[in-house]
Parts: sequence; C-alpha cells; structure tokens
Amino acid sequence: MQPHLKRAFTLLAIIIIAFIFVRSLAVPGSFGEYGWYRGDSVNELRSQDIEYAGSRTCGDVGCHNTLYSIWNQSRHKTVNCETCHGPSEKHASNIRIMPEPADDSRDFCGLCHYNRVARPDGFPQVDPETHGQNLRCAYCHNPHKPWFV
Amino acid sequence: MNLSRRDFTKIGSKIVIGAASGPVIIDALVKKARALEISPLRDYDWNEHFWGYVVDTTKCIGCGRCANACKLENEVPFDEPVYRTWVERYRVLKEGEAVIDSPNGSIDGFTDDIPEDEINKAFYVPKICNHCENPPCVQVCPVGATYTTNDGVVLVDYEYCIGCRYCIQACPYGARYYNNEKGTADKCTWCYHRITRGLLPACVKACPVGARKFGDLKDTESEVNKILDRERINVHKPELGTKPKVYYIGLDRVVR
Repeated sequence: MQPHLKRAFTLLAIIIIAFIFVRSLAVPGSFGEYGWYRGDSVNELRSQDIEYAGSRTCGDVGCHNTLYSIWNQSRHKTVNCETCHGPSEKHASNIRIMPEPADDSRDFCGLCHYNRVARPDGFPQVDPETHGQNLRCAYCHNPHKPWFV
Repeated sequence: MNLSRRDFTKIGSKIVIGAASGPVIIDALVKKARALEISPLRDYDWNEHFWGYVVDTTKCIGCGRCANACKLENEVPFDEPVYRTWVERYRVLKEGEAVIDSPNGSIDGFTDDIPEDEINKAFYVPKICNHCENPPCVQVCPVGATYTTNDGVVLVDYEYCIGCRYCIQACPYGARYYNNEKGTADKCTWCYHRITRGLLPACVKACPVGARKFGDLKDTESEVNKILDRERINVHKPELGTKPKVYYIGLDRVVR
C-alpha cells in the first residue's frame, strides 16, 4: 500500500474509534431500548407524585363517611370532593397536613352557576345581581346536598 | 486445497466481520423483541392498554376546574399563561363572525362581555393534547426527547430535551408550551403517573359535569369505547392525518 493511503486509512480508523468512544459516553444506556428515546424516562415520568386522591379515598377510609354518603346521594355527586376542596393526596396520607379550606365565595360557586350564554340549556344558573342578596351561597344551599326551589 | 493469498484474505476477513457483527445484530433484534414484549414498568404492562379520551362539548359548562386541577397536579407554572389543558369559548355572532377566547385558560371562569341578543350560538370546547397516533411533534424532535409509549401516550423526556421548541412549532393544536422552570418543552401526559397506577387523569377527576372521559381503547367494555360505538364523534383537524386520540362529541364546524 502506498504510504499516503496508509496515513489516510490510519487517520480514518482513529476518527471512527474516537467517534464510537465519544458516542458511548454521550448516549445514555437506556437510549433505544424501546424506541428512539431514553427508556428510563418512562419510569421517571411515572414516578411523579400524585396530588388528587379521588373522592373514594375521602369516604372509604372511614374519615368522612357521613359527608360522603350525603354527597353521594345529592345532585352534586358528579362534583368530586377535590374539585372544590383542592388536591388532598398529602392530607389523605398524613392527616396532619391540612388542605386549603374550600373557597366558599359567591364567585367560586359562580364559576359553574352564574348565568352564562355559552352554558348548556337547562344547567342550573342564577343571575348574581338579582339572586341571593349578595349572601354566601352556602347560607341557603348546602354545597354537599344542594336543593332546588 | 489451493488458496491464493488474496482469496485467503478475502474469505478470512468476511468470516471475521461476520463473526463480529452477527452477535451485535442478533443482540439488537433480541433487545427490540424484548422491548415489544416486556413493559418497562414493573407492575404495569403497557402492551395491554391503548388509552383514549372523549370530550363531550355539549356538557361543558366552562368552569375551568380541569385547567386548574391540571396545573396543581402537574406543577405547571401557575401564574404563567401556559396550560396543558384549557377551555375555549366559541361565540358565533349573528353577523356570522366567530369570537374565540380563553381568558387565563378558563381557570378564572368566563364573563359575558357580548350581549346575548348579538349571539347566534355559544359553547365551550375543552382542549388538550390529542396524543396523536401520528404525532408531528415527535417527528421533528432532533434529539429523541419526545416519543410515543406503547400504550399510546406522547411524552417528553425532561432530562434529554434541549429546549429548542421545534415541537411547539410543529404541533397543529397548540398543545405544547415552553416550561420556563424546567427549561424544556412541556405538554399534557394524560397524567401518565396516574393512569399507569389505575387512576384517572386529574382533569377528568375535576370535571363536575362528566364532560371528560378517559379509558382504554383495547378494552371493549370501557366507557370511551361505548361512546365511540354509540355517539357521533369527530376529532380536531382530521384532514391533517395526525390521527388524534381525543374524540369530541358535538364538535362544531367553527372549532379549530
């Protein structure tokens, strides 16, 4: 082989070996395990903490049984506990950690129940200007067991 | 046997290359087969599920509890105008124009700022990542930091994402955003940490009227499958060929 070719091939071999070496350092071990991505990231994403415990957690463990059974029969049964009371998984696993008290302002109830044109027909809505004399909604309506006049 | 030096070198090098590359190829094939068989999640087999989502726009009341719950569950920056899910309000005026808005992603609710007598029809449309079967965002990622899992969820690898935002541009639904705290692209995961533990996504849990349904498309008895069998459904921008897996009941033609 001619010497200039020899030099070129040696250089090429060094470049290829260096590339393979750098690549093995730069590409994470689990890359390509399941596809063109880092396989470990699936488990990383899955290990994220849960914030919303779910309504059953509130009633099943026996802490809020009474309220749970009242709510469960009411027209608000489609509204989960944490929709108003906020995420409570931390409270469920450690009762010393109290969740934020539920917002009982008129505007919070109004998120669902103020008159809005875009809402479906028949959904219970009120005009906040004329209804309830600016009292808190819970003054007349029990949010765990709402009733309709 | 009479071999020339040239033939000996030829055959010899073929054998050596074959012997060296054979195990590598076999290893790669075995690894790939195992990846399809075995789930990376110990107590959860991602080959048994294929998730789907149904939004009933005729039920949505625009309270924004879904967008609120999503931010709290997933630590989406609360005071920034970025959302993994949000609710849009469509108001088609009598003049024919459609007014579309979503103040703070619907978290603070909506106020009527157009008189009722000027409006022909009005409705809410909850929006979320469609977890397309053919996702443009995954195609464009230059580093392989976003991918589709075997159970049909499009995820972002926050460790590997370089924050180039190409995927945010590529998504035709505007479902991705740039997370300033993480310095990466971010998006809805259908609460992957919840659904792989048998729970529902936070937005589905938070919806007070049952406008959001989530379930397994591989389970013929699941609620989403029953809706898909029974109801008249559509997806966003079907003409793009992205094959979204968020199905809408009562989707109006002005929705985009």
